Formats: sequence, structure tokens, C-alpha cells
Amino acid sequence: MSEAIIPGTAGSAVDPTRSASTPPRSWLAEALYNTFGRVGARIGAVWIGVIAFCAVFAPFLANSRPYLMKSGGRWSSPLLEQLTGVDVTLLAVFFVGLGLMFVRKLNMGQRAAILLWVVALVLPLAYWPQIGVIWRETQWPVLMRGGLLLLGAIDLAALVGIPWSMRLGLRFQLIFAVVLLPLVVLLIVRPPNPTRVPIYEQYREMEAAGQIEWVLRAPLPYSPSDRLRDQFDPNRPHPRPPSWEHPLGTERFGADILSRMIHASRIAMGIGFISTGIALVIGVIVGALMGYFVRWVDLLGMRLVEVFGSIPQLYLLLTFVAFFGRNLYLMMVIIGLTSWVGDARFVRAEFLKLRQQDFVQAARAAGLPLRSILFRHLLPNALAPLLVSVSFGVASAILAESTLSFLGLGLVDEPSWGQLLNQAVSAGGGFYWWLATFPGLAIFLTVFSYNLIGEALRDALDPKLSGE
Amino acid sequence: MPDPLLSITDLQIGFSTSRGMIHPVRGVSMTIYPGQTVAVVGESGCGKSVTALSVLRLIPQPPGKYLGGSIRFQGRDLLQLSEREMRRVRGKDIAMIFQEPMTSLNPVYTIGDQIIEAILLHQGVSSREARQIAEQSLRDVGIADPGRRLDEYPHQMSGGMRQRVMIAMALSCQPKLLIADEPTTALDVTIQAQILELLRKLQKERNMAIMLITHDLGVVAENADIVNVMYAGRVIESATVEDLFDRPQHPYTEGLFRSMPRLGQKATRLQTIEGMVPNPAQWPPGCKFHPRCHRTRQLAANAPADQTVEIRTAEGSARVMARCVHDLPQLPTSGDPELREILPQHWAACHFTENYDNAPVTLPVIEHQREVRRETVENGVEGVVP
Repeated sequence: MSEAIIPGTAGSAVDPTRSASTPPRSWLAEALYNTFGRVGARIGAVWIGVIAFCAVFAPFLANSRPYLMKSGGRWSSPLLEQLTGVDVTLLAVFFVGLGLMFVRKLNMGQRAAILLWVVALVLPLAYWPQIGVIWRETQWPVLMRGGLLLLGAIDLAALVGIPWSMRLGLRFQLIFAVVLLPLVVLLIVRPPNPTRVPIYEQYREMEAAGQIEWVLRAPLPYSPSDRLRDQFDPNRPHPRPPSWEHPLGTERFGADILSRMIHASRIAMGIGFISTGIALVIGVIVGALMGYFVRWVDLLGMRLVEVFGSIPQLYLLLTFVAFFGRNLYLMMVIIGLTSWVGDARFVRAEFLKLRQQDFVQAARAAGLPLRSILFRHLLPNALAPLLVSVSFGVASAILAESTLSFLGLGLVDEPSWGQLLNQAVSAGGGFYWWLATFPGLAIFLTVFSYNLIGEALRDALDPKLSGE
Repeated sequence: MPDPLLSITDLQIGFSTSRGMIHPVRGVSMTIYPGQTVAVVGESGCGKSVTALSVLRLIPQPPGKYLGGSIRFQGRDLLQLSEREMRRVRGKDIAMIFQEPMTSLNPVYTIGDQIIEAILLHQGVSSREARQIAEQSLRDVGIADPGRRLDEYPHQMSGGMRQRVMIAMALSCQPKLLIADEPTTALDVTIQAQILELLRKLQKERNMAIMLITHDLGVVAENADIVNVMYAGRVIESATVEDLFDRPQHPYTEGLFRSMPRLGQKATRLQTIEGMVPNPAQWPPGCKFHPRCHRTRQLAANAPADQTVEIRTAEGSARVMARCVHDLPQLPTSGDPELREILPQHWAACHFTENYDNAPVTLPVIEHQREVRRETVENGVEGVVP
């Protein structure tokens, strides 16, 4: 571990003699600060940052539709018009998150809560035109559908109202009003409404026919599902090797590989974070109860942990794909449901250690309720090993999805790195090196980065390893 | 006579272990009046901390179990309250401070977060008012610049400062009883004196009762009104602080005083009480102190042989009075001498104190409050009271 420590940053853990002039930093912030002071973690963070940037701005980086064009004297922006609900949500989260980084007054928990709140608000709003479709297509009784709609409306109203009910101060409420209310109104008036069967060639054909007077295109003018039907050439069959037009080549059906890889970063990030999130929630609750109550709760919980620990994840995934078809969300849930075991053990071990501590006794002596003791006082102290476990968990979830896609059981049309890898060897025995190298490299670098961060976290959080 | 604030009567607590039930507290009785400081003294493992925790019902159940007795606080039996009602008592009516200030504060929250949480819980005020109350309580315990200190983390403070914070937190809800479990053990001597001084001052201002758990007789002499000496899960002597220091009756109390260094006394080596505190899993029969007792050995040396027995001790064997080993087994774990009022307002539990056979068996209730030179406190002088 010692090679990961660079001189000057090592051993700068919590310093009790920190002068009073520096603003106090919470223990967790201090730990993160130490972690990202290490070279490995920085390299990892940079790569994850690149992937996250690609995930958020994928439609702006690689898209067959122009940003802006003038056709027949009319200006239009096909790219913006065709944004999906996911695009809008990701953008909102990104910019709100960026803004929150500059707000000094909030602690990490509050920032996380605000981000979650934004997702809960924007995501359903971005999809609200779908309600009509669901209304028409489901067979449920009208009363039930109406009830659900009403519930949704109340839920949204409550979500919009939350910042005003919290005691955040007038300034925050103003910021919320200025930034989020226009977004909410815009989403209700002009919801994202992409065409269901897009024709990507349309703009290239229009340009070839001279119908476009002025155009501003994305850096990579190919959508991930743009199969280049207009550029069909029997002499140059797909997949084609890298060229100036397609820097990383094309895949079997003619789509641009770089474009697909950029868009696939969403799945990589999503599957990593959502499945690890599910695992984390279950693991923390089960582990906390086991570690705090001990005795028969612990006994039962550990048996549950053993049962779930014995389920082979990959085989379960294969079975579910066989029975229920290829569904990304199902995959996330299954990966989450089978990987909480480690988290639960970590939390249990930490709680067993912490419950004897004086500050827990003091919290009980102050009359605090169990909920507060478990999740407010114990959990933040048990977070350190969890962070390590989470970063490794994200890596393994990405690998699991890639494995499944590589086996040809992943997603069909949506781009994923594993699915590109799958095409590297054709049924006829041909080997396409560019289809193996670039997606493989992306998977490797991402998993490696998460492992680097996990490793650095472990070093930063474990006083025994930090060489003090 | 006003009503006592807290009266513990014949409290018995058991812990189930893999080797069966053990009884760390066996029939403890004590009474605390408003404004009184009642010290509970004894060696480690004598049951004093368990008694203190049981007042707040913080004994983990299981493995702990209340086997009998009652803890009446302002007329209500705390042992009969529901967990929900008990939470309202904790922190609000009865607060507690602990031995280790370094670990009694949650390292991940600021001082303010922790004090304010308790205030919000018990006082039904807005968060802004709660912050003001927290600031005031920090000021009360003598912390300079409380507004800025509220936003600091525990690791930025020294041990004495943290203990002040703990006291501020405990007192922020104006409790009527403060249980202080060895509040100064982990601090160095000058800070110790400051903290005790502070407790006295705050006690006087608020007419608060303090249950002071300690094994430091110096702390007792300075602070207590009433002293309960505990040994092997029982109170073996209970008296006013003056009585106890002037006329200790129980051989264990005498032993405690002898093992204390005295100013002006030349001694190369301090006396100790031989032997070890008995293990709660294997209490000796009869009086739990007889294997270490010097009084019974002296008496046995001059007594007729039929009144003495030979016992095995850690150092070998000794001859003690038969009565100490076999008395009437009136208590659940057998044969302890009863706590009797052998002198007015002075209770002791030893077969061989004067007047034991004629003394009445009563519950120790002493309403005494000492008249100490508390003026030093008002001047704001911090230091040891002479």
C-alpha cells in the first residue's frame, strides 16, 4: 500500500492542532480530502470524471441531429427537440450538483438530499406526457388509474414545496425559486417528447440535397443507433476499421463505435451506481439492525446474509434474462439484491464495535430515539469501510453487466461496452481488433479507476495502514 | 420533610451470562433530595456504575434484568414506565455525564449539532432558539466564544473542554438530577478541580441534585453531602460526608481511608486492602468482605475457637469469625449483614460494628446538606477549595 502514499500528503490525517483560522472540516470531508490527495485516487477520479462527463453530455457529444440549422428560412434545433427525459434529468442533476459544490453552507448530507430531491422532481416531470400512453394502454379500472394520477400529482406538489417547508433561509429559497421553478414550468409546458422511430439519415440527406442553408453539428455527427443506411457500400462492409470519418471504426450493423461508447458510459455509470445503491440501502438496514440489537436479530440476519451470499450472481442473472427478457432495470435490481451481503457485514461489524462507545451511551442518556441513534449517530461513524466497499461494488457491477452483454444476453439496441466486445468475434470466425480493443479498454480503465479510488480510500481511512 | 427527588429501594439487577445469572447489584437503597450531592464510592466492579445506569434504565435488556426493587423519581416508579415515557425522562429530568470526555462526543458532528439535537427533542423550541440556548449553556460552563465553538468538531477541543461541553449538553435541558459517572477520572488534576468547581456552581444556581459516582475520596470530601459506600453490589455504609470521614464504621471504609495518602504523614508505602474485589459470578458466602477484612481477623485471633472458622484466601488461609461467613440467609444471594442504622443518621452493614445487634433496619434517608465555604465559587475563582 505504501507506494500509493506520496510524501507531504501521507500522515496528514485528522490534525487536532489545526489552527483555529481554518474553517472546521467534518471528519468525513477530511477523510475524502486525504483520499484524493493520493495519486492513484486522483488518476481514478479524473477518468471517472471523463466518463461522467460523457454520460451527462452524450447527446451533445455524439448525435446525428444538428445543434442548430437553418432550413427553408426557418431556424430549428433538432437536437434539443429530441432530448429524452433521461437527458434532461441528467443535465439538471449535473448543473444543480455543480452549483451545490460552490455553496459553502451545506454539509454533505444536505447536498446529497438536494440532489436526490432534484431527481425525484425532474424525472417524473420529464416523462409526464407518457401518462397519456399509460392511461390508454393499461387495463386497470378508471378509479385506480385516477387514484394513481392524483397520488402522483400530490407527490409532485409536495416535492415542489419541500424547500419552502425546510428551514433553509430566505436566500436558499430564492435560489430554488429562480433556478428550479422555471425548469419545472418549462418541463410541464414543453416536455421532452422524442420521436419513437427516429430517422437519423434525414439531415445528411437534406444537406446533400442542398436544403440546409446553415448548420452547426455535434463534434461527432453520428447517433449511437444511426446505422448509416444512406452510406451503404457493398464494397466496404461493416464493421469497418478506424478511419477519419469514424475514429474508432464501425460495428457490425454500421453504427459509429465512438458514439456508441460515449452513450454506453451512461449504462456503465447507471448500473454501477443504481445497483450499488440498492445493495447499500439493504446492506445498511440489515447490518445496522444486526449490529445494534445483536442476539436473535443478529442470528437471523446472519443466516439471511449467508443465504444471499450463496446465490451465484451471474447464474441468477442468466436465469432471469432467460425468463423475463433483457431488461436493464431488472439487471440492476438483481445485481443489487445479490451484492448487499458484504455491506451488511461491514455495517454489522462497525455497529458491534460502536454500540459500546460512550457517545452512543450518551445519546441514549439524552433520550434520543432509536432511529436517531442508529442512523444519525452510529451510521456516519460506520461509513468509512462502506465507502471502500461501494467503490469496489460499482466496479464489480459494471463488470457483471459487461459480462452479460459479452455473452450476448445484455441489451439489444441500447449501446453497452460489453455488447460491442461481443461483436469482436464474428460468427464466421473473423476477429475485429478495434471492436475488442476500445470497449475493452474502457471497461478496464473504469473498473481500474474505481479500484484505485477504493484502494486510496482504504489507505486514507485505515490509520494502521497510513504509516503514522 | 420534603419529598425526596429520587429514592432507590432494594434495587436488584441480574445479568444472564453463559455461566448463569450473575447479580452485580443486590438490594441497593439510597435517597437523593433536591440540591443534594450524593456520592457513590467503591472499587471497580462494585456495582456503582450499574446502579447509575439503571436509574436511566440504560442497562441493556437482555442480558440485564431488573429482578426487584423500585426507583421512584418524583413519585413515579421509573421501572414501570414504558420505553417511550422513559425517553422523555432521559436528558430532560435526569441527565448523565460520562467518564471519558474524549469518546463521549460523536466525532462526526459539531458540538452545536449535538447539543441542539437534544434541546430540539426535549424543549419544543425553534432551531434558532435552540441555538441560542446551546450558546448560553456553553457560556454557562465557561467556554469562551461559544458562538464559534458551536461549529467546531470534538477533535478540535481538549479533554477538559470536551467535558465542559458534555456538562453543557447535559444541563441544557435543566435536569433536576445529574448523574455524573466518574466525571473527572480521565482529566488531569487542575482540570478536575475546575470541572468539579463548575458542577458545584451550576448545582447551586439550579438547585439540582447530583449523583456523583467516583472512587476518588478526595473528590467525595470536596463535593458530597451524603456518601454511600458500595461493595460487592450492596451499599455497606451510608452517612453524611462529615460523619463518614470522622467515624467510618465499616472495616471496608476504614480500609479505603487507610489506603489514601495524607498530607504531612510520613509513609514509605501506602496501605492497601488485601485481595481482590470478588467476582460477581462467585460471591463468597456471608459477608462479601470477610475474605479481605482485617477486623474479623483481629477478632478471630482473640475469640474462642468454636466461634471462628478457617477460610482459604488468595494468599493462603486465614481465621475469621464464623458469623461473617454464616449468617441468617435472609437475602437472595445469602447471608450479607443488613444495612442497619447503628448511629443516628449513619448506616453500616457489618456484624461487628458497635451496636449492630440492637440497631434498627431502616432505609437510609438523610436530608443533610453540608455548609461549605461556597463563597469561593461566587467570586469566580477557579481552583481547589481549601
